[in-house]
Amino acid sequence: MKGKIWLIAVLIALVLLCTGCGKAPQAQSRTVTDMKGRDIVLNGDVMRVVALTAADCEILYAIGAGDALVGRGEYCDYPEAALSLPAVQSGAGTNIEQIIALTPQVVFMDTMAQGVEQIEALEAAGVRVVVSDAVDLEGVYESVSLIGTVMNREREATEVIDGMKQTFQDLSDKAAAHTDKPSVYFEISPLKDGLWTAGAGTFMDEAASLLGAKNVFGDVSGWAGISEEQVIQRNPGYIVTTTKYLGTGPTPEQEIAGRVGWEHLSAVKDGHILNLSDDSLTRPGPRLADGAKQLFHFLYGEK
Amino acid sequence: MEEKRQRESYGLWTWIGLAVLTLAAMLIAVCVGSVSIPVGECLRVFRDALTGTEASDPGTASILLAVRLPRVLCVALSGAALSVCGAAMQGLLKNPLADGSTLGISSGASLGAALAIAFGFQLPQLPFSGSMILAALFAFGSLILILSLSYMLDSSFSTNTIILMGIVYSMFVSSILSLVVTFAPDKLKQITFWTMGSLEGSSYQNALVLFVMLAVCGTVLIRLAEELNAFAIGEENAMNVGVNVKRVRLVILVTVSLLIGTCVSIGGTIGFVGLVTPHIIRLLTGPNHRRLLPASMFGGAAFLTLADLAARTIARPLELPIGVVTSFVGAILFVLIYYKVGRTAR
Repeated sequence: MKGKIWLIAVLIALVLLCTGCGKAPQAQSRTVTDMKGRDIVLNGDVMRVVALTAADCEILYAIGAGDALVGRGEYCDYPEAALSLPAVQSGAGTNIEQIIALTPQVVFMDTMAQGVEQIEALEAAGVRVVVSDAVDLEGVYESVSLIGTVMNREREATEVIDGMKQTFQDLSDKAAAHTDKPSVYFEISPLKDGLWTAGAGTFMDEAASLLGAKNVFGDVSGWAGISEEQVIQRNPGYIVTTTKYLGTGPTPEQEIAGRVGWEHLSAVKDGHILNLSDDSLTRPGPRLADGAKQLFHFLYGEK
Repeated sequence: MEEKRQRESYGLWTWIGLAVLTLAAMLIAVCVGSVSIPVGECLRVFRDALTGTEASDPGTASILLAVRLPRVLCVALSGAALSVCGAAMQGLLKNPLADGSTLGISSGASLGAALAIAFGFQLPQLPFSGSMILAALFAFGSLILILSLSYMLDSSFSTNTIILMGIVYSMFVSSILSLVVTFAPDKLKQITFWTMGSLEGSSYQNALVLFVMLAVCGTVLIRLAEELNAFAIGEENAMNVGVNVKRVRLVILVTVSLLIGTCVSIGGTIGFVGLVTPHIIRLLTGPNHRRLLPASMFGGAAFLTLADLAARTIARPLELPIGVVTSFVGAILFVLIYYKVGRTAR
């Protein structure tokens, strides 16, 4: 076993030497601490990585490290360039063999459904595992910074973080000028599949409160199935749906507006229904700022 | 003859009791819900609606008339339909475990719904969603499949063969369901919604469909009550008293699958109602299907209405899948009743 690890280490070293031929090889080792508090020792530049979550994949591209990706989780669909990468199973179906076959130096994953055994198996195969699992905006900044450090792109990471912070600050300042607090209902799952909303502790809820809006289901924690009656009673002024339009039948906005009993809702009467199905407000990545901009425009009618 | 009439008039009070119980359950379910509305307010909304007056509070009126009432109607009708099916199956197959779910009809229907969801099957310009159509088709198709497989194994259509095929088929379907979920993991939530059952988002149109199906299929089943009584004693007995065993069995199975398919297409698979209610009702009415079948309708309606009420209110503003409540309560009731009956019998 030990011999095998040595062999792999030597192989990786050779790969590193070859890939690093162009520039001066950085031999010194660095230690980074991931979001699980694990210390990871990295030797030299990281040139081959796999990102299992869509958010980490977006972060890598945002800090200009997209070229280092040699594989992606199956749900990584943004930006378009990511789609041409080989896809591996992620989440509950994470397949160690698929990842090892891509010979990455580092794999980025979240903690959802990843067993300790999987992490150990990857480490034993010489693949460094970096865990990033942001649950709030601060967490997203932390994962951008972490990935920036791993990829030796701290400057770019800081730029991304500062840009996001600036956007949120601007939006929050502009929202403060509005004295009325719009009430918004986020619909994650449509009525025919059972209503689900995003309550406290979700990015949607956080974005709403940063923009001076009130999530009508702010008293519910996390993602939750709720009663139709409750939506009607809470009478939101704005509705955001994340349902993707499949191209036939009524659009998600039309479907909501056409529901029996919903015609008295302020949002329906005023036509305040937004379809935000680009994952920008649900994915803990750099596009949260874009999602927040869209939400702001929807709530206040200004850019 | 005189004695028989006496027995039937004695049953009159049972009927009144059951009807009152069912109506009371429905009334409570309409007045109590996720959003609390005082009874006086409820009555005012209904009076306004009946007299055609403009509602003073459109929000409350929508909750009651557009959301709660159609849902309670659908729940009660589904409960009645599933129970009468369970009662008929148990009599026909002379098996206390028979039910739409043990025969594979419900699982077949939910597979249809899951496939429609996973592959986005949708017929434009139709009032019913794709999942509804496929659920009803699969319920019927599953029955045909189970029956023809049973027939191939055993041309006398023995009940044990049918039950066994049903259970094997259910397992097969559940493995296909897992397979569908593996290939369409983003649809997991939607598919779970179907397999857990829920009558959220029911409309008056759904209630009407259920009502028509229950009226037609229920009548067919009740008219076959005497034949079911003969079956309940034994298939040979049924044959001896002149029942066309194969034909009656086919009619009952087809009727039941149509009714269950309709229920699943509207509310998903709701377990335990069809299994438990007939057993409870049998304690009240005895095994005669002329009384058992209609009484099961009332019992099932009341049971499912109360279960749905619990699903809507226990964790408000959250909503639980109704199948969670029926299976939880149903399983406990089942054990309790059998324990009690078993002890008194001994």
